[in-house]
Amino acid sequence: MSLEVVLQSIFSAAFIATVIRVATPLILPAMGGLLSDLGGVINIALEGIMLAAAFTGVIVSGFAPQWFPGAPAWSYPWLGALAGVLVGMAMGWLIAFFHLELKTDIILTGLAMNILASGATVFLMFSFTGDKGSTSTLASARLPSLQIPFVNNVPVLGTLLNGENGTGYNIMSYLAFALVAVIWIFLYRTPAGAHLRATGEMPDAAQSVGIDIRRVRYQALVASGFCAALGGLYLSMGYLSIFQANMTAGRGFIALAVIFLGNRNPIGALIAALIFGTASALGTRLGTMAIPPQFVEMIPPAVTIAALIIYNIRRRARINAAARRFQEQTAP
Amino acid sequence: MNMKGMTKFVEPVRIIAVVLIALAIGFVITALVSKEPVQAYTALLTGPLPRLSFENGFEIKNINRFGNWLEESTTLILLGLAVSIVFRARQFSLGAEGQMLLGALMTAVIALKLSLPFPAHMLLALAAAMIIGFLWGLIPGLLKAYLSVDEIVSTLMLNVIALQLFDLLLFNWLRDPAAGFVGTVPFPTSAVLPLLIPGTRVSFMTILMLIAVVVVWFLMARTPFGFELKMLGANRKFAEYGGINTKRVIALSMAVSGILAGLAGAHLSMGLLKRLTINLSPGLGFEGIVVALLARNDPRWVLLAGLFYGYLRTGAQIMERSSDVTREVVLIIQAIIILLITAERLFPFVQQWVQLRRSREEVVVEAG
Repeated sequence: MSLEVVLQSIFSAAFIATVIRVATPLILPAMGGLLSDLGGVINIALEGIMLAAAFTGVIVSGFAPQWFPGAPAWSYPWLGALAGVLVGMAMGWLIAFFHLELKTDIILTGLAMNILASGATVFLMFSFTGDKGSTSTLASARLPSLQIPFVNNVPVLGTLLNGENGTGYNIMSYLAFALVAVIWIFLYRTPAGAHLRATGEMPDAAQSVGIDIRRVRYQALVASGFCAALGGLYLSMGYLSIFQANMTAGRGFIALAVIFLGNRNPIGALIAALIFGTASALGTRLGTMAIPPQFVEMIPPAVTIAALIIYNIRRRARINAAARRFQEQTAP
Repeated sequence: MNMKGMTKFVEPVRIIAVVLIALAIGFVITALVSKEPVQAYTALLTGPLPRLSFENGFEIKNINRFGNWLEESTTLILLGLAVSIVFRARQFSLGAEGQMLLGALMTAVIALKLSLPFPAHMLLALAAAMIIGFLWGLIPGLLKAYLSVDEIVSTLMLNVIALQLFDLLLFNWLRDPAAGFVGTVPFPTSAVLPLLIPGTRVSFMTILMLIAVVVVWFLMARTPFGFELKMLGANRKFAEYGGINTKRVIALSMAVSGILAGLAGAHLSMGLLKRLTINLSPGLGFEGIVVALLARNDPRWVLLAGLFYGYLRTGAQIMERSSDVTREVVLIIQAIIILLITAERLFPFVQQWVQLRRSREEVVVEAG
């Protein structure tokens, strides 16, 4: 009986709509993390950047009527989003500056940024709103949802394309999928993308052919700040419409795992993010049944570790095979 | 002065300078948002000190604040030791958070599901916390050593799994349904750490922590394992050529580090809360990093750095209660400390920049 219910709920259009909503704040930071990771500068601070952008978006859009008295009301969410994106890019730049100019360890710098974001958001939230838990007293704006016209009357398609209540997905969800395509084209079809990959794979070789690896890495980290900021903005201005202390809840770290699970390419990362999203949506849905949701939530991280193990075993086998061939060829 | 003497002298000065700069930036930030920044910062910097009062005979006031400082520092020093072991081997294990959670979880299982007489019950719970920490650290250690699985991702994922395990057992097995919050019943006294200073929560764990400092110092400075850690941290290839089984050392470094994180978890449950609650202490496992960095991974300095950072955290709690500034300012200070302390080229960079400006000015002067 219960298996039937589970299967029914998984293969419903409403469930797929939930998965897309849950996966959006994983896809966006994962795309950012992918760019910097391929450039050879791992960004551990996705979590902190998301948090800082989520906070900035809510505060700026909430205070926009006071801060920008001339601006029309429709612009408030966009002002918030713009500020959030700028904060994210600034944090990306700061990581690049500390790592590339002051020679800090990039992992520790990323961790410091996470700590900074979790401290500064609560600290500033208290001084702006007098509350340490959330900004529920502040009327902040939401980024719009896009409704695809004419499909709502079609039974399954309507739910699939416009969500359960037919209002459409948040604009950030569309942006997430678009970004996957854009980044794929950038990485594999443009010279700049090739330069980025070369910088990560073989910095010395890249430099020797005239690629300015320092510049590429600056750009990669700023771009990763941009993408992660979009993910954070979705959380506080789409998924919810308030900021809560530490509302990212580890999504930035999951996004890192998504990159590795997706074999460090955009399509793979998209699939991995959807797997995580499915597990998470399933966890909430199973909460009402006999299976504890925590058990389901354990599956994606366990899968990530398993995927890393398989990946490394296969890589090792490949290297060993190549070494054997080399020995056979060079043997007298 | 020879080179070695120079660096010995320069390092502490540099670290103290970094701490002072971070505190100064923290003050500027406080001044930006607070109506009473001086009062707030005074609370932060002097709050944890006990006051001696001679009004009605000799009396020590605010002993509980002093106690809070020691309690906080005990956890932080254990976590700092855990991090310093892996950092010394240059392994970026970030698993202390999960190891700590599972350590606390195991103490609850032993405390609530077994009934034993006093010292045996407590010691068994402590041992369980250490063993689970060891095992939870051994997993990413083995994966890194034998399969080259990146330890950052694996430990972060293991943290997620540990948190879910914690919630799973707490919600479904250990929880006290009568309590108004998600938590267990109080531990039986046979599984609670004995109190050391009345009027505080400073317990036997503080003594264990001191023993741990000595043991880790001995391990690092006086045993072959310590030498192997250092060699591995300096250069893995070189250590391998020198005949060191680097795989074994990588795996063990993370596992041994887990023992200490597990103890930190036991301190939270058996010493401070005397029960298990949900959201035990999110993010605390990462606080060991700043302690290890301040101490340059030297256990003796971990003791000092942990006391310093524990002092700051306690001061921040007092500041939050007595002023309009929240305790999170200490996280901002911590982040600045990490950024500046790892910036090897910070002082040369500033020097270069100053020189550049000076030379530009000279050019301008000469031109004019």
